[in-house]
Formats: sequence, structure tokens, C-alpha cells
Amino acid sequence: MTPNRRQLIGGMGAAAAAAAFPMPALAQAKPKVVVVGGGPGGATVAKYVAKDGGIDVTLVEPTRRFTTCFHSNLYLGGFRTWESITHSYDKIVKAYGIKHVRQMAAAVDREKRTVRLAGGTVLPYDRLVIAPGIDIKYDSVPGYSEAASKRMPHAWQAGPQTRLLRRQLNALADGATVVMIAPPNPYRCPPGPYERASMMAHVLKAKGHKKSRIVIIDPKDSFSKQALFMEGWQKHYPGMIEWQDPKVHGGIKGVDAKTMTVKTDLSEYKAQLVNVIPAQMAGKIARDAGLANQSGFCPIKPESMMSAVDANIYVVGDACIPGDMPKSGFSANSQAKVAAMMIRGELANSRTFPARYTNTCWSLIETDDAVKIGGRYEAKDGKIAAVETFVSKTGESAELRKQTQQENMGWYAGIIADIFT
Amino acid sequence: MIRAMLCLAACITVILWPWKPSPALTAGDRALGEYLSSECVTCHQLSGHYQGIPPIVGWPEDSFIQIMDEYRSKRRSNPVMQTIAGKFSNEEIAALAAYFGSLKARH
Repeated sequence: MTPNRRQLIGGMGAAAAAAAFPMPALAQAKPKVVVVGGGPGGATVAKYVAKDGGIDVTLVEPTRRFTTCFHSNLYLGGFRTWESITHSYDKIVKAYGIKHVRQMAAAVDREKRTVRLAGGTVLPYDRLVIAPGIDIKYDSVPGYSEAASKRMPHAWQAGPQTRLLRRQLNALADGATVVMIAPPNPYRCPPGPYERASMMAHVLKAKGHKKSRIVIIDPKDSFSKQALFMEGWQKHYPGMIEWQDPKVHGGIKGVDAKTMTVKTDLSEYKAQLVNVIPAQMAGKIARDAGLANQSGFCPIKPESMMSAVDANIYVVGDACIPGDMPKSGFSANSQAKVAAMMIRGELANSRTFPARYTNTCWSLIETDDAVKIGGRYEAKDGKIAAVETFVSKTGESAELRKQTQQENMGWYAGIIADIFT
Repeated sequence: MIRAMLCLAACITVILWPWKPSPALTAGDRALGEYLSSECVTCHQLSGHYQGIPPIVGWPEDSFIQIMDEYRSKRRSNPVMQTIAGKFSNEEIAALAAYFGSLKARH
């Protein structure tokens, strides 16, 4: 990288911004950035845009405290308390002068560049960041619905669903049948369902269950870290977890929450716990604003995280189409920093550099036995493309796996400090 | 403890083998380093707190550069760090060393 290239990129950003967008009505008014959604994507953008000053940042997020979906499987397994995965916005609000508006965003008017809140207030913006995470496609599993999720939790958005799943898991008696319906690609946290099955098995094994079993009915032919999970399940939970791909189950016919049954083309399961993880799509506000394509997710420009359909809007986190990156909290945080840099380049004339992204996903299989997968990514061939990737190996030493779990916990502490302080 | 060992390693290096970095490696671009650092601070806390992942603030620049170079050439293990370091140029590593070296741990 040479200074010339950097200056050129910075210069292009500023020139494009000047040409494409009128200045704020009042010359002395600070530019306004509105961020919709306070997860690892939105909260990180809010902090990184606000921290160097000169820009008004409003974070639209109804909750006072945010529970991370990452590490919620560790809560399920009893490795974490609810408190330890729940974090307040107070520190970033105070430290960086972010306005936290505790409401849902109801609609975006892209022509007028405003966001209307559920309470009716209208917020003008110079740049809008959309980071609503995922919505669940309840109807992607026949018989499933939001009402059915009260008995058959998805628990794929951290909150009451996660706590319900833990209560149900802890209440199981030996001999229980647990069925998980895994989601089709693309979805939040690719190794997540399989880490969850591991945590369920950990709880049942710790309670002394000998006859309980966990059946994973998967619409996919393969899954993230498959060899590592299969090895770990064989080692720690022999005979307890059965993974079925479409060749085995023949297709998911449907679920019935009243009778707690799951039907596949080949079998019918009467279960004591059913965890349905349906297909997913970008949060409603993103789809309603016309930012998503037919996939249900939002295309972005890989060099900036700018929406592919609106130059005043950036989309980060699980709602976007992240190319080779997985949908993860780590990815959202990484994308948020690129978006924040580009927004500051446009509105505050700050230096900008070529976008680069990173991700690592750790998964816990059993106490002190964690694995990881990750990579580095850059804008290439019109998408966020993997430059280099790695994954843990089968047969690694117990010592290395234990270190990997320590790294997992260290990463969590690190990313929480990065997002929330 | 870890930092003490790193300092010791750096001192030994300096005493035994006076290292002469190229000009590009001495003039770390702190602004570039601050931007690139956003990749690091997802895991390594800016406060210098140690909670399972080693802190990297306040290191001597030359030992920071040396360690990153060892990850880059895969002489040091840990695939996360090898992947992160792998694509950094000398200029970028020097920039990171300048930025993190300029920070103090807040305890």
C-alpha cells in the first residue's frame, strides 16, 4: 500500500460525497448518523463513528441491555450466567455522546432521508446504518409459527427464547428424545446449531442420562466444522447425538407443537424437547426499506459496507450479504469498523483505508474442548472474499483444545470491551 | 510475566544481534496503525486487561514487529495470529507497532 493509493481512495470518497449529497441545511450543524439496531454491528458502528467527535450519532435500539447471541449456547450448557452475556449501553452512551433512543424504528423514508420511530418521532439522517440482525422465517418449517415457538423454541435470537430452551433442557428426564431442526444456509452462526447440540449433550450427560438422545434433522448435506463436531460427539457423547442429512431423513415434513411431534419423510418423532431453527432473513426494517434482494438479505458494496441500492445507507451484520464471511458477531463487529471508517471519511473527511475484514468462530464441544474456524477477507471480485482461512484439526491435543477455550473466553471479554466500553 | 519475558527477549536480541530495520520499519504510520488496530482490539483489550488473550499495548516497537514477523512466517504457532499477520506488509506491522507502542495499559 502506498500513500498515493491511500490519498486517492480518501480523495475519491470525499469527492463522491460532495458530488452526490447536499451539505446539511445548516452549515454549522453536525452531520447526523442514525444507527438502527444495537447488536455487535450497530453498537460498534455507533461507537466508532462517535468516538472521534464531529458527528451526531443516534442509536435506535429498544432495549436497555443487550444479550449476545454469541455465547448463549454456553449459557444453555451452564458454562455462563445470563448476566455474563448481558451488557448495558450506558458506557458507550456516556463516553462518546451517543444518543440512545429506546424505541423500534418503524420505517425509513429513503427520499427524505428520515427514520420514523414507533412512537412517531422522525429522525433525519445524513447516513443511516441498518443493523437489525435476523428475522425468523417461521413458515419455512411446515406447522411452525411464532405461537408454536412458545413450545418449540428456536432460541436463535438471544432473549426469552434462550431461557425457555434452557428450562426445557434442564427439566428433561433420562430417556428423553430431543429433536433439533437445523436451518438451511445462509443463517446466523454456521457452527451454532452443532455447538448447541454439544451443549445439550453436555447437560444431559452431566445429569447422568444414559438413554436420552438428540436427533439433528438437517436440510443441509454438510455443516461447519463437521469433522470436528463428529469427532467430539463420538469422544464425549457416544451414541447420544445422531445427525441426519437429507439422504437419511428424506425431507422435513413438518412439526406439530400440540403433540410435540416432528415428521420426516422416513420417520415420526415424539419428542420431549423440539428446537426448531428455521430459515432466516434480514430484519423487517431492512426489507421494508427495499434494501434486501430476493434472498431476503441486503447486498452491500464489499469495499465499504454501503448498501448496493442506496449510497446514504450502510448495512452491517447478519442482515447483509457478507460474501465469504459467515454471519457472526465477530463478522458484524469487523464490518461495523469498515462502515464507520467510510462514514467518517464521507462526513468528517477522515482518512480511509482499503477495507479488510476478519472473523473467528469458536465452538465449545465439551468442558475444555473447544475448536475454532476463521479467516481474513477483502473486497475482491465484487464480494467480500476470503484471503486466508483456517480451521482446528481433528486429533488435536487436550492441552491445545483447552487453550482454544481460554482464547474463546478471552475473545468474548475482548469483543464486549470493544463494543460496550 | 509475559511482558517481562517479551522485554527480556527483546533485550537479548538487541544485545546479541543489533537489529537494523529498514527505514520503512522505523517510521510506523500511527494513523494507519490505529485503523488496522481495529482488527486486533476485537480480542486484545485496549485497556491492557488480560482475560485469556494477552494484552498488546505498550510493547517496545521492535519486539512487536519481531513477534508479528514470527507469526507471519509461521515460526510462531496459533492459526488466528498466523492468518491475521499473514497479509500485513512491513509498513503495516510497523504502523501497528507504533500505535500499540504509544498506548499505556489502564489498570
